[in-house]
Amino acid sequence: MADIKALEHPTLKVPYELLNKKFRSAQKQIDREVAHVTSAVSELERGLLSNSIQATDITKLLGGMVQKLQVLKRKAEESITEELQVGLVCKRRLEHLKEHASGNVGAVSQWRRRRLDRMLVEYFLRRGYYGAATRLAHTSDLKDLTNIDVFLVSREVEQSLADHDTSKCLAWCHDNRSKLRKLKSNMEFNLRVQEFIELVRSDKKLEAVKHARKYFSTYEDNQLEEIQHCMALLAFSPDIQISPYKELLELKRWDRLVEQFRQENYRLFQMASQSVFTVALQAGLSALKTPYPFHIKTLIFLYKFKESKSSNCPVCQEWLNILATPLPYAHCSQSRLVCAMSGEPLNENNQPMVLPNGYVYGEQALLQMAAENNGQIICPRTKDIFPYKKVEKVFVM
Amino acid sequence: MDSCLGVEREVDKVLSKFNGINENANQVLQHISGQVDNLKQEFESIPSENELTLQQVTLLKQTLNQVVETLKRLTGDHRDLHSSVSKVGKAIDRHFTVDFAACSREDVFNGSDNERLLNQVICQHFYQQGMLDIAEHLAEEAGLTLEEEKTEPFSDINKILESLKKRDVTIALEWAEEHKVFLARHKSSLIFKLHQLRFIQLIEKGITHQAEAMQYARTFLTQYVDSYEKEIQNLMGTFLYLPQGLSGSPYAHYLTPTLWAEINEIFMHDACRFLGLSIDSPLSICINAGCTALPALLNIKYVMQQRQVSSMWNGKDELPIEIDLGPPHQYHSVFACPILRQQSSEQNPPMRLVCGHVISRDALNKLGHNVHKLKCPYCPVEQNASEAVELKF
Repeated sequence: MADIKALEHPTLKVPYELLNKKFRSAQKQIDREVAHVTSAVSELERGLLSNSIQATDITKLLGGMVQKLQVLKRKAEESITEELQVGLVCKRRLEHLKEHASGNVGAVSQWRRRRLDRMLVEYFLRRGYYGAATRLAHTSDLKDLTNIDVFLVSREVEQSLADHDTSKCLAWCHDNRSKLRKLKSNMEFNLRVQEFIELVRSDKKLEAVKHARKYFSTYEDNQLEEIQHCMALLAFSPDIQISPYKELLELKRWDRLVEQFRQENYRLFQMASQSVFTVALQAGLSALKTPYPFHIKTLIFLYKFKESKSSNCPVCQEWLNILATPLPYAHCSQSRLVCAMSGEPLNENNQPMVLPNGYVYGEQALLQMAAENNGQIICPRTKDIFPYKKVEKVFVM
Repeated sequence: MDSCLGVEREVDKVLSKFNGINENANQVLQHISGQVDNLKQEFESIPSENELTLQQVTLLKQTLNQVVETLKRLTGDHRDLHSSVSKVGKAIDRHFTVDFAACSREDVFNGSDNERLLNQVICQHFYQQGMLDIAEHLAEEAGLTLEEEKTEPFSDINKILESLKKRDVTIALEWAEEHKVFLARHKSSLIFKLHQLRFIQLIEKGITHQAEAMQYARTFLTQYVDSYEKEIQNLMGTFLYLPQGLSGSPYAHYLTPTLWAEINEIFMHDACRFLGLSIDSPLSICINAGCTALPALLNIKYVMQQRQVSSMWNGKDELPIEIDLGPPHQYHSVFACPILRQQSSEQNPPMRLVCGHVISRDALNKLGHNVHKLKCPYCPVEQNASEAVELKF
């Protein structure tokens, strides 16, 4: 159960953020429609103040009011239904998480498989492999359990930024204005700067100045320096080689905007900057990694023993082994020995035995080999041959 | 579980409140717009030149006041939901770990080489799961080139999986027959289960195929009587219900899709074994291990931060605590020196003393330092430090 507590925060937090957002927009929507009705009411009241009150005028005004009330009713219903929808997503995810606790072994392993698929969908989305992500979510029926919709929106913004178009990203900033302000995001400012730079680049300096007047005049304290740099850019030609103006004009700045957008989007939905998948993989590799004997060295030997359990060790797989190189080893204060030949644990029933060359195997495996080989032992790792009686006991505390 | 329930309580509250406000808004708005509409109709019946009477004006004013009041209440009610909504968020933060990445390093899988490796691992995983289409999608989007020799055996397997999905066991049976010896050595139930499925398919066709089913059982099932006696008895029982069909009979379970899901799993299991691959994909083993390890790691990190000893864990050499993944995930021997309580390494290998006891080289050096003869720490045997032999587990 602890793993759910540790790993499923984003699974629930993202739909919650959506719910919160929907709630705000619903509130706005309802407030707006209510304001329309109240303005109709005050209009009517003004009509009632005059000395002669014409029945026709009043009925006309009343007609308008009925209409507005109907609109309010429809809008309110729509908004609240949307809120309910998002709330139900939270609920469904909780139901899914609860299935984890069912005692049935088969169900748990099935659940774990889906968890891996969920993690992979999220990882793909973060990497921008949208095709694989949607496909996997579809095949494993995970649409409700992953944040695929959130990413598909951000995908459009990313693409437009990659095409050097700021409009979609600005619309996104506008959409999430209050939240972004709370996060102290400078996304919008950076976009405006980029627009300014593009105007300078295409030599429309007058327009650039207008743009600057419109958007830079309400700067925040820490942005003054950057604005100064921008304004100074007006004095140079676009092929300037002096820092920091050269950097401002670099096309790479667009890539940085894409990256910034991604990060801000994660923060907006309270997602961590690392995916659950990579975090879990790191921890897993570490927990499985043993310092001695070193994995890669045993690899060649293990390939010859495909049937043995050791070849299943994930950290011995070629690619994962490289990935695991910088990670810490598992901690171990008590020796745990396994027979390198059979994969069986070494204990009082299967004593560890040493060959004269220093290699240790389990008694059972050695006895079996001796029986099959006229009392001879062939060390699988060095190919040395010894008679069984040269084998000696090893005591490990 | 508690954490889920804690959040669920809040979510349920919000949902019921939303439902309530939805109904309420509907009713109230229906009511007042009906009232206003009534007034309108009443006024319409007045001849057009006439003015409203004082009574009518008061009535109108009253209604208007009522409208404004109700609407105010409505927006207020909705606004009040905010606290319930934000309670959900707080409950999530309280019951789940916000900063789950606290003890991971961000840079480990970065860089184009590592990204490529990781994608290869994922591709391999999907191949092994029989989800070739996703592996291919990923390879395309990530710009991987899949090695022909690595993918080829999988494409055969995938063909079989596809046909099993269409409930056709023919090519699966061909594959199984081809590798009969291998399967028999590993006591696989694959062939029998495939025949069983085909037999059930014949039974499903009803009474008209009775002779055919009988014939099939005689030709293919008899050879398995020794190991699957009970199953074959059950299968033969189905003949009793042929005329009215199996659904509703005690043998209805033969018609459920679980049998097909099971055969998929058995087949994948055997196929992976045949290809010399681990049965669980390495990726899923790692992830499951990670999911076991992370809660403990996060806990110890939290405790270390509280005690302000977080610098003790630099995250480089060794995890700070032992993670028990269970015997099936213990692939290699680990030797921890019983004296120094340290894992052995290449520089500090395990050494076997003459008496058979094993300690690490560091410990041996400390014991034998400046002494001509050293005594084994576990038994009375005295010996020379140079007589100890390095062990390789």
